[in-house]
Amino acid sequence: MKKLLSLVLALCLVFALAACGGNTEDVVAPTDATEESRGTLVVGMTIYEPMNYEDENGELTGFDTEFAKAFAEKAGFDGVEFIEIDWGTKFIALEAGEFDCVWNGMTITEEAKLNASVSDPYVKNAQVVVVNGEKAAEGLTSIEGLTVAAEMGSAGAAAVTDSGVDCNLVEVDVQTTALLQVATGKADACVIDITMAQSMLKEGTDFDSLAIAMELTSEEYGVAFKKGSPLVDEFNTIMAELMADGTLDALAEKYTLALVK
Amino acid sequence: MSITLNDLILVGTKLAEGFNVTLQIFALTLLFALPLGLIISFGSMSKIAIIKYPIKLFIWIIRGTPLMLQLLVVYYGPSILFGVKGLSNFPAVIITFVINYACYFSEIYRGGIESVPKGQYEAGQVLGLKKSQTFFRIVLLQVVKHIVPPMSNEIITLVKDTSLARTIMLYEVIWAGQKFITSRGWLWPLFATAVFYLLFCGILTLLFGYIEKKLDYFN
Repeated sequence: MKKLLSLVLALCLVFALAACGGNTEDVVAPTDATEESRGTLVVGMTIYEPMNYEDENGELTGFDTEFAKAFAEKAGFDGVEFIEIDWGTKFIALEAGEFDCVWNGMTITEEAKLNASVSDPYVKNAQVVVVNGEKAAEGLTSIEGLTVAAEMGSAGAAAVTDSGVDCNLVEVDVQTTALLQVATGKADACVIDITMAQSMLKEGTDFDSLAIAMELTSEEYGVAFKKGSPLVDEFNTIMAELMADGTLDALAEKYTLALVK
Repeated sequence: MSITLNDLILVGTKLAEGFNVTLQIFALTLLFALPLGLIISFGSMSKIAIIKYPIKLFIWIIRGTPLMLQLLVVYYGPSILFGVKGLSNFPAVIITFVINYACYFSEIYRGGIESVPKGQYEAGQVLGLKKSQTFFRIVLLQVVKHIVPPMSNEIITLVKDTSLARTIMLYEVIWAGQKFITSRGWLWPLFATAVFYLLFCGILTLLFGYIEKKLDYFN
C-alpha cells in the first residue's frame, strides 16, 4: 500500500516537473549538439556524510558533491543541481526522470543493477584483515584458528562474528590498539576498516611492516543512471580520466575514503 | 527506558564475571607485593650504598610514572624493543601491579620501622638477642600496628586501580560494564559497577577496623 502510494506520488511529481521543464529548457535544447546546450545535471542524493552534507556555512559539500561538479564540468554540463530524494523510492523516481542519477555513496547491489544502469565502482568500503608483512606475503585465505583483534562493537568485530569462522576474537578499545596488537605479535591479525588500514600502514608509520592480507567484507559505491542511459559510458570514461589525473585521489584523501582502482 | 528483571540478571552476571577478574588482580597483587615491599624497604634502609641507591632510584621511577604507562611498558615493551612475543595480558597486569604496589608498601614499611625508637634495639642487644631476633620478636609487631592505617588506605586504592588493567584488554568489571554501551547502547551498567567496588571496599574497611582494634593491646 505504502509503495503504491509513493509510486502515485512520484508520478504526480514527475508530471509536475515535466510541466515546468517544458516551458523553459526544451525550446533551446534540440537545435544543435554543442556542449553548451546540455543543461544542468540533476543529481539525486540524501544528506550523508562524507558523501553529501552541509558544511558550517550551510553549503553543500562532500566527496560526491565535489566529484559530481568535476564530472559535470568535464562533460560540459552547465552545472549541477542537487536535489534531496527519498532513498526508498529512488529507482522509481530515477526511471520517471525526476533526476539524472543517484549519486550518494550508493552500494552496488544486485537490486541496483536490476533497476538502473550502474557505473563502475569508484569508492569502496571494506573490513580488511591486517597481518604482519611475512604472513601477508605467504598469502592468507581465512582467519580460521587465528587470534584476531578488533575494536569492541565495530563493523570489523561484527564482520568477524558474522563470518562464522572459528577464530579467537580479542576485543580492544580502539582500532589503533588492534593494529598495535598485531605489530607486537599479541594477535595474529586484526580486522579494521580499509580507510583506517590504508592511512595507518603508510610508509613512515610504526605500522608500516604490516600489510592488508584479505578483505573480510566489502562493498563498492557506484552511480546509478536511468536504465539504458548513455550517460553511464560517458561517466565511466570521465571517471577514468579523473582517476588518472589525480583529481579523485585528492578528494579521497580530503574525505578519507578508499578509491576503487 | 525501563530496566527489566532479565536485563538486571544479564548485567549482574556479566559484571560479576568481570569483578571476579578484579578480585584476582587484587588478591594476587597483595599476596606478592606485601612480602616484596618488605624486602625493598630493607634495601632502601641498607647501609651499603650500592644496594641502597639503586633501590631508591627504582622506587623513584616506579612512584614517579603513571601505573597505566607501566602496564603498557610491561605488556608491549618486550615486543617493541626485542621483537619477542612477551607476556600475555594477565601476567603482565600482575607483574606491573606487584612491582608498583611493592614500592609504595616499602615506603610505608620504612616509615613504620623507623618509627620504632632506637632504644629498643639497644635493649635487645643488652638482653643478648641477635639483631634478627630483636627485629622479628620485638620490633615487627609494633611496626604492624603502626602501618595498618596507611596500609588500609593503599589497599583500598588498589581495589580501584585494578580498573587500569582494561588498558591492556583485561576483561575486568569496568570493561564488562563498558561493553554494554557498544553492544546494547546501555549506559547504566557502567555506573552499576560502582556497587561492586563500594561493597568490596566496605568489607575491607570493616576488616581493617577489626584488625586495628585487635592490635590495641600493644598500648
